[in-house]
Amino acid sequence: MITSDRAFEAVRDAVVVVMEVAPESVTRDTRLVTELRCDSIALVEIAEIVEEALPGLAIEDAALDDIDTVGQAVDYIVSRG
Amino acid sequence: MTSRVALDLLGGDAAPDAVLDGALLLADECPDVSVVLVGPEEVVAEGLSARGVAPGTFEVIPATQSVAMDEEPARAVRAKRDATVRVAAKLVRDGRADATVSVGNSGAALAAALFTLGRLPGVTRPAIAVVVPTPNGPVVLVDAGANPDAGPDLLAQFALTGAAYATTLGIDAPRVGLLTIGAEPYKGDELRKAAYDVLAALPVDFAGNVEGHDVVLGGRADVVVTDGFTGNVLLKGVEAALALGGAATIDPDDHSGALLLGVDGIAVLGHGGSSPRAVASCVRLAADAVRGGLLPRLTETLTALVARRREAAGLAT
Repeated sequence: MITSDRAFEAVRDAVVVVMEVAPESVTRDTRLVTELRCDSIALVEIAEIVEEALPGLAIEDAALDDIDTVGQAVDYIVSRG
Repeated sequence: MTSRVALDLLGGDAAPDAVLDGALLLADECPDVSVVLVGPEEVVAEGLSARGVAPGTFEVIPATQSVAMDEEPARAVRAKRDATVRVAAKLVRDGRADATVSVGNSGAALAAALFTLGRLPGVTRPAIAVVVPTPNGPVVLVDAGANPDAGPDLLAQFALTGAAYATTLGIDAPRVGLLTIGAEPYKGDELRKAAYDVLAALPVDFAGNVEGHDVVLGGRADVVVTDGFTGNVLLKGVEAALALGGAATIDPDDHSGALLLGVDGIAVLGHGGSSPRAVASCVRLAADAVRGGLLPRLTETLTALVARRREAAGLAT
């Protein structure tokens, strides 16, 4: 089982690496596409880094189209974990 | 020192034939380069047999999937774990090859390199760097196609990675120009106007605005920075012009290949329509980069530039 805190840490760390933003600037409300301007390559890379950080987790491609905020990503991961 | 270059067998419009022929050309020309073909073993066996070449001429690393030129790159690379372009990048990551080369879907090559090799300090998105030979010395054009929608900050990254690359070419204090439509400051569209100030604040020798002819003639800047859309349009125009009028002195096929700047490894990309000679040129570029210790030198210079930029901006280094 993946806790909400662990999922948040994994998403935040991936966003920090991929988008080069400060860790403290990433919150559950951070919008990946409209705020940080993540494109398809960035979203896929974030997904790959999160999967590596959370072994056993498999993020569906369709989810990448639906998720906008970090909080939505965290909730999705918790629901899958 | 022998360089081991992993070559994506299934990438490119004329793959696998043009890639295999390119590997054979290279093997003749550069015996100190060891080409590792990444693709289906039976395709290599059939190809070598059809050419009367002994089996076992090349080491083959099996990979069965290919990324088509019209596939969405990131999703395709993610879905196809056994894609030749991804397996080739993994060989570099795992130390089984020194460099990777692909003339296939360039977005897929970028995604595979990025996902597998990771990035250098201060880089969010790698860029394609082409060295244009000019009468006044080489000009590094960056980005030549990886990031069509770059903003000012990405252009700043390209300026730093391009400058770091130029130093590895022996240019000690590279002048960095911003490609636009006039030499006067703030000439151009909104992106160029916004980028001008950002580039001027970087710890590089900013030469101001430059124009398309400066990329062909050289002399005003050693590094020319632009978005991937403009850079690719310019590059293909320059190549076509060379093929028409300048082939007697410079043949684009013999200068084919571009480094993917910003990933933590040597990755070379070529045009999808690469001829065998162009493929061989790409492999040669990769091998030369390995032999010249390009990655550690570039990383050291880039790390210092990024630190100076962050320090100047009042950020923790």
